[in-house]
Amino acid sequence: MVKAQNSLGLIFFPAFDWAISPTHPEREERLLYTLDQLREEGIFDIEGINEYKPEVAVREDVERVHFCLPSVENVTTKSHLISAGGAIKAAKLVMEKQEKKAFALIRPPGHHGMRVVHGNRGFCNINIEAIMLEHIREHYGPIRAAIVDTDCHHGDGTEDIYWHDPDTLFISLHQDGRTLYPGTGFPQELGGPNARGKNINIPLPPNTSDEGFLYVLDNVIMPILEDFKPDIIINSAGQDNHFSDPITDMRFSARGYAILNERLNPDIAVLEGGYAIQGALPYVNLGIVLAMAGVDYSGVREPDYDASLLEQDPKITKYITELCDGMMNIYANVPRFPKEGEVQGDWFVRPKDIYYDTDDISEKQVEAVALCDECAGTLKIETWSTANPMNALCVEIPRNACTRCVTKGHDLIEKACRTDDYRYVRLIDRKEKQYLQFGY
Amino acid sequence: MYLGIDVGGTHTDAVVVDKAGVVLAAAKVSTNHEDLLCSVREVLENVLSKVQPEGIERLNLSTTLSTNIIVEEKTEDVGVLVSSGPGLPMEMIRVGRHFYGLSGSIDHRGVEVVPLDEAEADQAIAACREDGVKVFAAVTKFSPRNPLQENDLKQRLSDSGADFISLGHQLSGMLNFPRRVNTAYYNAAVWRTFNTFADAIEASVQEFCHHLPHIHILKADGGTMPFALSRETPVESILSGPAASVMGIIALCDIATDCVILDIGGTTTDIAVFADGAPLVEEGIEVGSHPTLVRALKTISIGVGGDSLIHCLKGEVRVGPQRLGPPLAFGGKEPSLMDAFNFLGLAPVGDVDASKQGLERIASDWGMSPVIVARQALDHATASIKKAVDDMVFAINEKPVYTIMELLHDKRIEPGKVYLMGGPAKAFQHLLAKVFALDVVVPENYDVVNAIGAALARTTFEVELFADTEKRIMVIPNLDVTKEIGPGFNLADAEAKAKEYLLEHLASLGVEENGDAVDILESTSFNMVDNDMRVGRNIRVRCQIRPGVVIT
Repeated sequence: MVKAQNSLGLIFFPAFDWAISPTHPEREERLLYTLDQLREEGIFDIEGINEYKPEVAVREDVERVHFCLPSVENVTTKSHLISAGGAIKAAKLVMEKQEKKAFALIRPPGHHGMRVVHGNRGFCNINIEAIMLEHIREHYGPIRAAIVDTDCHHGDGTEDIYWHDPDTLFISLHQDGRTLYPGTGFPQELGGPNARGKNINIPLPPNTSDEGFLYVLDNVIMPILEDFKPDIIINSAGQDNHFSDPITDMRFSARGYAILNERLNPDIAVLEGGYAIQGALPYVNLGIVLAMAGVDYSGVREPDYDASLLEQDPKITKYITELCDGMMNIYANVPRFPKEGEVQGDWFVRPKDIYYDTDDISEKQVEAVALCDECAGTLKIETWSTANPMNALCVEIPRNACTRCVTKGHDLIEKACRTDDYRYVRLIDRKEKQYLQFGY
Repeated sequence: MYLGIDVGGTHTDAVVVDKAGVVLAAAKVSTNHEDLLCSVREVLENVLSKVQPEGIERLNLSTTLSTNIIVEEKTEDVGVLVSSGPGLPMEMIRVGRHFYGLSGSIDHRGVEVVPLDEAEADQAIAACREDGVKVFAAVTKFSPRNPLQENDLKQRLSDSGADFISLGHQLSGMLNFPRRVNTAYYNAAVWRTFNTFADAIEASVQEFCHHLPHIHILKADGGTMPFALSRETPVESILSGPAASVMGIIALCDIATDCVILDIGGTTTDIAVFADGAPLVEEGIEVGSHPTLVRALKTISIGVGGDSLIHCLKGEVRVGPQRLGPPLAFGGKEPSLMDAFNFLGLAPVGDVDASKQGLERIASDWGMSPVIVARQALDHATASIKKAVDDMVFAINEKPVYTIMELLHDKRIEPGKVYLMGGPAKAFQHLLAKVFALDVVVPENYDVVNAIGAALARTTFEVELFADTEKRIMVIPNLDVTKEIGPGFNLADAEAKAKEYLLEHLASLGVEENGDAVDILESTSFNMVDNDMRVGRNIRVRCQIRPGVVIT
């Protein structure tokens, strides 16, 4: 019988009864063929691979991370809470050492879900990795975490949530934003003033093949991970870099994904996007499962795989080599402040425009973070959108907030409650574990 | 009258029941492992001497024959031809000495991606023939979606003069390639011995009954298969013993709720769990550590029984899993669980003095009082059984589900009653009632429940239907049905077709069933979308004749 070298917990939850709409890519059928493939391969019989039910995330899990406007219930459905709960279950298995690694094969995805949620963007409402990671930190203590996002789209939601967090390294490699949704994710976006160099974006040109992806892994991602020394590595495992994906232009293969996973060696993987549900997902998921479990994946191969067609253009190879050199150079010389935004007193302020493509909502934000050497800094967001046109104030007092930042957070709330400036006032107080709404 | 025979590990039991399930005659003989036929003949002769053998309409036989062949490694050499295409390395599923991995692959939608390499296949067949191999298993990945390559291999094999060919898709429509390979392998490996045995059984039945009643063979899922079918799929007869007992309980007790069934034997206790009065079925059991696709009633077995050895581990009295012969009360050499019952006077059997002396001896060796040793032995035995039941119920309740509906409206099993059978059942009744804090029922005839279950079990069968309206095709793998369908074919049509083919197939085997006993186990329809357009439906229906007993 086949035996896994690493014990692996699989949380497989295809949500066969949920879709955004009947013909939307995020629909019932999405993981059907993956299930067929995993079953036919006998994956669930491999000694050391165990399947688990997802949990259902509770309101508090969401409120710990997101400012949901007007409410958690308004922007989430049970499917989102189960998806987040699936990721939480994966993390629990690993944190409690029940399994060496875990892979949550769940839907819908979450990596476009930002700190403030007015609706659905890029098929995501709430950010399942962030909900998972903050659940871990709340229940298992502070940890340094690295999230490596291998989805073809920039993980702008995860970036937004961890922009100011010096204890979370976020690395996104994706198709260049000049050619694909959401249009962001450039090398100069290096994190907020209190967490510089903890946000890494690697925009790759269309038609990047296995060679290019693995080059970036070996020459940028691995060295930066080594420098950061995370306690835990999470792979935000989107699968739309695949050569057969209908909405992207990359040439990554299932075997490439498996090799990447083997070298990255994540503790937890969470499925994100990927919509070539017949030609890619069954094989990419199989590759990732085998690689994580330490089982021979060399036989994983798509029916239409043709090595010669997937060979990388030398021009692309050259571009990527230079990009990687540039990235390491930037990483070694991170400027003190981000390009976007300005210092106002002891705050760093930046304006943000956010578009929710799925729900057609436009949002405007003014985000301010307290400049602080001791903690991640209290965060203040003023937001209004076409869905919630009345002004809202959202304040986060971070996990490790210093006394000065705690006071700052409470002052903001107190002041806001005395005026009529805001329709909604929200507080995430991670120190006191309080998630409060005022004047509602 | 119906005749039921259960060839078990220790005893071979037989009963004759009338159509209402009333036991008219029963017999019990020791099982002769070297010659099962001899045990069957002995019990046949014994039980039929008590009734008019001409009145026997049907014989249902549960036998350990196939299991023994596998466990004792007396299997015949099988030529295994597989084509797996991409995925896990073929070496990982190697089984037997004559294993040939062939080129060729079929994808998850049943599309042939790489055709079979004919020359390679013929070479493999020739090599097997040269080694004297006469029976074969041919299995390709995703053959339940498209049996093309398996059928091609079958043609080549029968042209080469093979005695028997076992095809993966004919054994199960479930997706699991390694299990399908194992199942087909074992089916071929036990085929010849099973058929020789079947011939002998037929002759013996004819001899003792003075006519030939319908013969059925019991399967692990608690149902039977007609004799003719069992000759083609003997692998289905493995591990039918625990199922016979469970079916017996169904026949004897009116079960309508969640409950636990315990069959306490000499060496082991078999545990089954019922949900809403129905036994739980497992999609595939393991045989000799090899997982298969043979459906079985969900049972687990733990090493606690009447003959389990009492021993002492770090000052604590333990029972089982070893068994060193019978209890002292029946002439054994070491004290076992039954001796503890004897010592405490809870259910005296056999030579009570021998039990007492034995317990006093080991108690003084361990520096304990014999009463304490006996009590602790019983406590440990009942606690082990309770823990195994709890673990099993927990695992069943934790079984993954794939829809939001099922996840949120989770049906949890909470057993409210315990049914107890097997030799030491009466002795255990009160102790287990205390440990479980539940009503513990011991049915009448508890020592031949297994044979009663065999006698009354109904014929079961399962089909999986897979339809793809984009490709306009419908497949029922284990019935070898591949049919064209219209673009409007929907879930209701699929359910009706699956039922129709299932009942038709049974009728062709001489089993008349109306649709009442058909369960739809799975029924799903997915829209297939291409470029924002619905291009068809992907439909899967799985249905079965529910395992049960037929009492009129």
